[in-house]
Amino acid sequence: MAVTLTINGQRHSVDVEDDTPLLWVIRDEVGLKGTKFGCGRALCGACTVYLDGSPIRSCSTPVSVAAGQSVTTIEGLSAGDTLHKLQQAWIEHGVPQCGYCQSGQLMTAAHLLSYNPTPSDADIDAAMSGNLCRCGTYSNLVAAIKSVAGKAEEA
Amino acid sequence: MGMNRRDFLKVSAAGSGGLLLSLNLAGCSGINKGYQEASVSWRPDAWLEITLEGEIFFTLARVEMGQGTYTGLTTLIAEELEVEPAAIQPRFAPVANEYRNPLFKLQLTGGSTSLATSWRPLRVAGASAKALLVKAAARVWQVPAEGCRVQEGRVLHPNGRDSLAYGQLVELAAAESLADEPALKSPDQWRYIGKGRGRLDTRAKVTGAAEYGIDVELPDMVYSVVTRPPRYGATVADFDAGEALAMSGVIDVFAIERGVAVVADKYWRARKALEKVTVQWDNAEALAVSSDSVMDFYRHAAEEDEGAKERDDGDISQALAAADQVIEASYEQPYLAHATLEPMNATAVYRDGRMEVWAPTQAPDLGRIAAARVTDLSPDEVTVHTTFLGGGFGRRLTQDFIEEAAAVAYRVRKPVKLIWSREDDTRHDLYRPAMLHRLKASVSGGQLTGWHHQIVGPQIMDWYVRNAAPAQYPWAPKALYGTLARVGVAAEGVLTPKDVSAIEGAVDYPYQVDSVEVRHTHADPGVPVTWWRSVGHSHNGFAVETFMDELAHQLGKDPYQFRRELLQHEPRHLAVLERAAQLGNWFEPLAEGRGRGIALHRSFGTYVAQVVEASIEAGEIRVHRVACAVDCGQVVNPDIVRDQVESGVIFGITAALYGKITFEDGAVQESNFHDYPLLRAHQRPEVVVDIVESAAAPTGIGEPGVPPVIPALGNALFALTGERQRHLPLAARSA
Repeated sequence: MAVTLTINGQRHSVDVEDDTPLLWVIRDEVGLKGTKFGCGRALCGACTVYLDGSPIRSCSTPVSVAAGQSVTTIEGLSAGDTLHKLQQAWIEHGVPQCGYCQSGQLMTAAHLLSYNPTPSDADIDAAMSGNLCRCGTYSNLVAAIKSVAGKAEEA
Repeated sequence: MGMNRRDFLKVSAAGSGGLLLSLNLAGCSGINKGYQEASVSWRPDAWLEITLEGEIFFTLARVEMGQGTYTGLTTLIAEELEVEPAAIQPRFAPVANEYRNPLFKLQLTGGSTSLATSWRPLRVAGASAKALLVKAAARVWQVPAEGCRVQEGRVLHPNGRDSLAYGQLVELAAAESLADEPALKSPDQWRYIGKGRGRLDTRAKVTGAAEYGIDVELPDMVYSVVTRPPRYGATVADFDAGEALAMSGVIDVFAIERGVAVVADKYWRARKALEKVTVQWDNAEALAVSSDSVMDFYRHAAEEDEGAKERDDGDISQALAAADQVIEASYEQPYLAHATLEPMNATAVYRDGRMEVWAPTQAPDLGRIAAARVTDLSPDEVTVHTTFLGGGFGRRLTQDFIEEAAAVAYRVRKPVKLIWSREDDTRHDLYRPAMLHRLKASVSGGQLTGWHHQIVGPQIMDWYVRNAAPAQYPWAPKALYGTLARVGVAAEGVLTPKDVSAIEGAVDYPYQVDSVEVRHTHADPGVPVTWWRSVGHSHNGFAVETFMDELAHQLGKDPYQFRRELLQHEPRHLAVLERAAQLGNWFEPLAEGRGRGIALHRSFGTYVAQVVEASIEAGEIRVHRVACAVDCGQVVNPDIVRDQVESGVIFGITAALYGKITFEDGAVQESNFHDYPLLRAHQRPEVVVDIVESAAAPTGIGEPGVPPVIPALGNALFALTGERQRHLPLAARSA
């Protein structure tokens, strides 16, 4: 069946089964590869995108749920060539190692700052605990978030 | 090195008119590899290309999987070529003899060897290009080359006014030659080496633009998924694909060597169709072990066979016989999965008698062999393109994912992307072997007089050689692959390096003890195993450094002082131990409810000591702080060194707290991150890293952070609870 949805401001109509996870629609039907497949069961966060502004795990969200709604992916996080301030902070703090989880990490972090511009350490920990990183870049990414939150780093 | 130009460097004009430099890395390695490199003919693959437009391309022969080669190796070229590292565009290397790792005679990235083997040759390549460009400029200006300087991609005239850009000089430089290897910059002249700078691949990785294997897209591509036998080694007896074939988008369902493959126009359709395929497995050759039976098998093997003697100092029998006290302990460690965040995958297309493969692989030349083995193609008819890797940790040294994609693409004659599920990835990994360690120490007059270590478990090369041996001899006919694999095992140490995977980190026991004996009882229960970040060091580090801690406590000594006294002859070990103790506040009082543990381990040439502070809170082990001192010789990028040590610490803690793959009747029980968890952000400790300044040649950094943290954490828990845990993973048991 045909499903219509808006991704990063562009309308797309795709012909897939209802139960197809949104992840594969974003990656293979629309061709945006920045959103990653990690576990298929909402356990690792590599596939995090926004559905109407709220982060979801696209690997476990049927495309039918997103029909008629607005999806934002890592490709939509920046405004053209101007990077999101968190992307810039990620570069300055040298966060990515293999980099595979980082789209999901950034989407989660950007959502945190969107509703809580000055998060406490506990807020950051709570927000980021759902995104796995096998390379162990956690302390660098937390430092990058803090730098944007305008909060002095704590020992 | 005493090489003439013909040996180390080839200069030629690029098809586009630019300058191409090819380099014989294999022959230039200063590392003794134990065999003679056959002379290789030059191919037109360049290490370094400078175009008329001044673009600089560097062929990166070591893959980027997070460990930082993309930045680190490029920095070596940039330093000598006098350009910003960011001005150089790395390209992932194709398969060619020139790109082999000289230590392994294979084009693989592993063993924390990339920087050590590239350190000199890549600087020579950069310096050679610079020298040729200067000679060309000097000829244009008719001035002595010695008077010209180089700055930010331009050669400057001695008059201080005129300059020529590299791009303007490349055509002339290609006609120049060098009589000798050029001099390299001295450390005080370095602008990039040793300085903390960002990574070159970061922007691509924060925008989603970096292309991993799973992102490769070909026109008219179809998707494949495979069901594999629950029990390793089972084969397909029969299968029923009737229902699957009737499903929308399904193109084909067929048996391949390792299972049954479904091909469909979309990934999700393939995945759903696979659920409808019923397979009868032939379990005649299937693995039947359970994790408990593996340890029983090891214990039995240990009693039956004292093992091959791998180190023999002094007289251990005499030391044990004369001892006031003999202390013994056994340690058991489980199978571990790699759990790279990017699941195994590969994309392949077969057309016009050739196969092209795109894959996140640590060993593209082995990938070529794997594709050839399952098709009628020869390795020469297979091209392997490497992408960014979403983690490696040794998993992608084995090419089973390429094998499967090649077999499917060869049959369906369309571009195919084959993707493993996380469950496939966890259950059909090749694992860090489960190991049994039995240790015995003799004590006389309050001093440690003897150390006996028996390691029980498999060797990894026995499993790896199937594709590795043919890859070393790619001209060998395919009919000989099996023979080469057997010869590879038999000729270990002659044709191939000695397999030290079981004993590394044990035979190099650093403490000064009169009698030291290390033995390996070779016991292989048939579970597929491979390299896993830090390999043998991962289990030997735990056994050695836990037993050292036990001995210190038995002798009533401080664990730090005990080690220190026995390392007076090992200055580099001693230095990191002392610095870690300092950084880890070893002498300071500890907060209520916390324990502190220390450990030291040298691996891949790098010395790492760590002090861990831990507690048990709400029934969970909490690691608060890890202080690390590291000596990896000359540092090229201190940020990457710190990050790799921290990365290793997180990897090691994950193994120590959660790492366990369980076999029951030959089948792996874990499947995804709920039952094979990784450490999460809120569980991270504070990690502090102190780097010893050193002018010694650079050594490995991707792996050495892992081994000491596991025993240091166990030792901290002992300090906290008074209970010694000798099995991994560690349990949260309070005193």
